[in-house]
Amino acid sequence: MAEDMEKLYNKRMDRYLKANHREKPDKVPFRPFAAEAVGAFYGLNAQQVTHDVDQGMDAIVRMCKEFDIDATVSNMVYVWTGLTESYGTKYYGVPGIDLEVFESFQYREPRNDDEAWMRADDYDRFIEDPVEFTMNVWAPRISHYFEPPDSKNTWKNSLAWLKGGISFMYYGMKIGAHVQRMKEETGTVSCLSGALKAPFDVLADKYRGFRGISYDLHRQPDKVLKATEAVAPHMLNNALLGADPEKKVPISHWMHRGATGFFSEEVFKKYYWPTLREVTEEIWKAGYQTIYYAEGKWGKNLKYLRELPEESIIYHCDKDDIFEVHRILGEKFAISGGVPNDILAFGTPEDVRKRVKEVIETVGKDGGFLLDAEAIMQQDTKKENFKAMADACAEYGVYKN
Amino acid sequence: MADMKKAPPVIFPWEEKKKEYEKILGDEEIVKRLWEEFDMLAYMFIWFLVTAM
Repeated sequence: MAEDMEKLYNKRMDRYLKANHREKPDKVPFRPFAAEAVGAFYGLNAQQVTHDVDQGMDAIVRMCKEFDIDATVSNMVYVWTGLTESYGTKYYGVPGIDLEVFESFQYREPRNDDEAWMRADDYDRFIEDPVEFTMNVWAPRISHYFEPPDSKNTWKNSLAWLKGGISFMYYGMKIGAHVQRMKEETGTVSCLSGALKAPFDVLADKYRGFRGISYDLHRQPDKVLKATEAVAPHMLNNALLGADPEKKVPISHWMHRGATGFFSEEVFKKYYWPTLREVTEEIWKAGYQTIYYAEGKWGKNLKYLRELPEESIIYHCDKDDIFEVHRILGEKFAISGGVPNDILAFGTPEDVRKRVKEVIETVGKDGGFLLDAEAIMQQDTKKENFKAMADACAEYGVYKN
Repeated sequence: MADMKKAPPVIFPWEEKKKEYEKILGDEEIVKRLWEEFDMLAYMFIWFLVTAM
């Protein structure tokens, strides 16, 4: 690696880690989570970046070369449809196949219990062994090709498992090479490694669906709780197995159904939080931070996060008031976010600059802050506004120690 | 409370696989290590489908 690029990378890594650990680095890190926006900046549509991982990754490298980015996600268009199509996933609307080429991939919720990937009477089997259930019941239901073990095998079933495994390894190798390329060609830190999902979110997102879990909370609440406890160790394993071997960059955690618009505080307190807290604490004991990418508004549920060990998470603020979030969580955890996506889509560069200055001078005043959009940036992000965000971070974010 | 130690990252344990061999003439440790490495990759693949895809 060229010496100047190595120095730049090390400087950015130091900046990124200090901010994550609530210290005051030399400047506020710019850590954008840009998904389809990156493709849009360089003339690629959603189908291209979602299906062709090489084109998507080339666009990310171009972005890192063009803008002063300290750290970013190696591939924020996280569903690679090359992989999901290899085993015939049923639950995605795919750009260029089911959707127009410019539309982002869509997750399609089950509409009733018959369509749910886990049925209401499957809880006991799931609780007994979540891995067995996932392989033998869930996988055949979510795929056009996988067959359950007690049925007649088909050549498509055998091929789907083979191709799924091959594409999983292929994607892993691509990501590894791409992270190295980001480092060597642009000096940019790949900001995440490893993935956590809250046990309740796993059930609500991928097994029962939102409707299903809503009914279950009334009809069989004890089983919902037991199911979160059964899957929690696997969420811990999954997070740690993909984590940074150097224990530097944090583990990602995309948070969904604990947002206040979905369920009550009572549900959060009893079903969402306990296992999530336990898993996060185990991750911290293993030497890792977790980015709590809290999509939506978390409001009165925020106070529970204060139960976590200091610095164990970086809290990403979406729709909550970031100044209020800073007041509630800032003494214990780093905060990221700050720039609303609607300003990036519909505002002017001056609107963006004004907002960046405001957030940096308040939330970022004492360190422990990373600048980003409120939510993952998609194809409606204007490039000139993204540039304004990067430039304003460099201008206003320098700490005069 | 969840028991975090209850579920190791294993699908097809080595102890079960070993029963299929009449005898391991050479270094059992090599066989065991490779079996467990790829079993763990399979475990990662399963949860990758659930959590990331």
